[in-house]
Amino acid sequence: MPKLTRRVLGLGAAALLPTAALRPARAQAGRAAVTFAAVTFTEAGRGDRLKAWVEKFNRSQNGVEVQPVGLPFATLANTVFTQMGGGGGPDLVRFDQIDYYAAIAARRILPFDDLVDTSGYKFTAIDKYLLPGGKRYGIAFESSNYVLLHNAGVLKSTAPANFEDFLSVAKASTANGVFGFAFRATMAERPGFWQDVCNFVYGFGGRWSDGAGKLTLDAPAVIEGVTAYKRMYDSGAIPKGADAATYRRMFWEGKLAMEVDNGGVAAILNQQAPEMKLVATPSPFPTRAQGLILAPLTVNANTKNKVEAAAFIKWMLQPDAQSELQQILGASNCATVVPRTVEELAAKPWLKVYDEQTPNSVPQLVEGFELKTPEIQQIVLEQVLRVLQADKDPKAALADAQRQALSRVIR
Amino acid sequence: MTGASHGAGHLLRLAAVLGVLLAAAFPLYWMFVTSLTTSASLFAVPPRALPDPSQLGVYAEAFQTIPVARWLRNSLIVAAGTTVLSLALAVFPAYAMSRFRFRGRGAMGLGLFATQMLPEAMLVVPLYAIFADVGLLNSLGGLILANTAFTVPVITWILKGAIDGVPLDIEEAARMDGATRVGIVLSVVLPLVAPSLAATSVIAFFHGWNEYVLAQTLISQEGLRTASVGLASFVGELSTPVHSVMAIGVLYTLPAIAFYLMVQRYVVAGMTAGSVKG
Repeated sequence: MPKLTRRVLGLGAAALLPTAALRPARAQAGRAAVTFAAVTFTEAGRGDRLKAWVEKFNRSQNGVEVQPVGLPFATLANTVFTQMGGGGGPDLVRFDQIDYYAAIAARRILPFDDLVDTSGYKFTAIDKYLLPGGKRYGIAFESSNYVLLHNAGVLKSTAPANFEDFLSVAKASTANGVFGFAFRATMAERPGFWQDVCNFVYGFGGRWSDGAGKLTLDAPAVIEGVTAYKRMYDSGAIPKGADAATYRRMFWEGKLAMEVDNGGVAAILNQQAPEMKLVATPSPFPTRAQGLILAPLTVNANTKNKVEAAAFIKWMLQPDAQSELQQILGASNCATVVPRTVEELAAKPWLKVYDEQTPNSVPQLVEGFELKTPEIQQIVLEQVLRVLQADKDPKAALADAQRQALSRVIR
Repeated sequence: MTGASHGAGHLLRLAAVLGVLLAAAFPLYWMFVTSLTTSASLFAVPPRALPDPSQLGVYAEAFQTIPVARWLRNSLIVAAGTTVLSLALAVFPAYAMSRFRFRGRGAMGLGLFATQMLPEAMLVVPLYAIFADVGLLNSLGGLILANTAFTVPVITWILKGAIDGVPLDIEEAARMDGATRVGIVLSVVLPLVAPSLAATSVIAFFHGWNEYVLAQTLISQEGLRTASVGLASFVGELSTPVHSVMAIGVLYTLPAIAFYLMVQRYVVAGMTAGSVKG
């Protein structure tokens, strides 16, 4: 069988021939390469426009080139923290809020004190959540509120005003392969599952803690929120098992009537089906409180391009760059207050509903236990799954969650 | 056994084999059908079972608007490089462990086994730090080296087992004819363990082809992405383009299948080599 040996050697030679590809990649001559990792660069529709926006910065500079690095949502934090642990990683990172707090605690990101003077900017109301201990480690790259969206061509009535209405409208809209509502209810989509549960719990007036160091996982309002989640789950109006990517596609394909989702999603839905009559209303819960997506832009503590990274941040905080960024992000907001234009609001009336939600948006973190949120989240979601799938009583489930969190997490 | 019962048994076996084949091939088929289904039909009840040829444009789009060709090329370089380097580095240690008695032989074997007990994810941080120090980040050559580190131990052990089965008399005869030790390994031993070489090349190739964690962590330049990372990059925070993912998924499986078909006959030859003796 000497042929095989020759074949293998030939294959190896062929593989090693393109030596250019084997050599480490280098930045363009004379320019410092600043890498910028974000999930948003991978998104259909928004990703390419964001890259073009970054390119504008590159064209305005002689000595710096920001290189976008798109990473998958599910693995961004793991990948970036691994790289940071190894002494490297991207210079700029768009983190989610939970990872933002983890990065601060692990001293993986730089405080802004020496980087950028942020005193002269008018930041949006949610900026207060980026200042743990009064110190700034990032600025909001994107923040987004949650409201109820419906496809007016599919919904069988007007938008529901309260939860009972919501349930009956969802059921009435479910027929012939069309579903009334959708949310996440599997551990495979843990972050999204948490976001959806937060919306129900916050909407019923619940919070995961009292903000003064006491967990309130078993508070009556939290139990009400989880009970409502279960009632919707059992209503027959949701496509059980469909992940968010699938039901969002169903929405713009006219197979889903309603969903509670953030402003970034509204922009994607509008872009995918511009002819669809997209309507936004406040979520039909007893209170207006809903979750908040908050993704700060941070600077890696390992960066060797501190000055260049700061130059990009200063550029992106300029009014023109902010205005363009906000338009790309859709119904989300950026770091500073950017008023919508009359034309924008006329073309996309749902933008106003999202913007008006801002004072009622609450981060999907356990206040006072920000660093412990992932562990508390795991405990709560395990119990919610038992409620949904094993018909466990919500009150008992959340009492168990409270007990477990106190013994396992808050010791 | 009567002819009729023999025929029925044969039919049953055939049906069982067909069933297993269908179960194995169905996910691939469904991936192909989904890639060629219109958006409007994706959620049709009942689901569409046949591909819609009018949607073939999604494949052209994958090459025109997404750097799929570059991703596949990078994956091919990494997989082939990992295969060649792994075999080259494993052959001689395997031969030494099989043929020589030396101090530390047992420890060496145990050491190789021990490396297999550490999960890749655990080693990725120190690997990243070392690669950063020696300038191997963002390099396909670096990725080949990293993958090879994980495949060499297992390949060494497999080849050692195969070489154990080669009679020493054959080597003695070659030595009497004036062959050197290296010459014996390359010209006598390796051809005799070709089926094992083929099997281990499949292991190394598929490791390099499918590997995700190292490729994601050690490579950040988009132009050097491998297909596994490129494919995962479509899973967005807010949406996932199902057609593109499925089309690229189909394209991603083809080179791996082609490689397996190429070496599969050697593996089978090895499995059946002794079956007609006696």
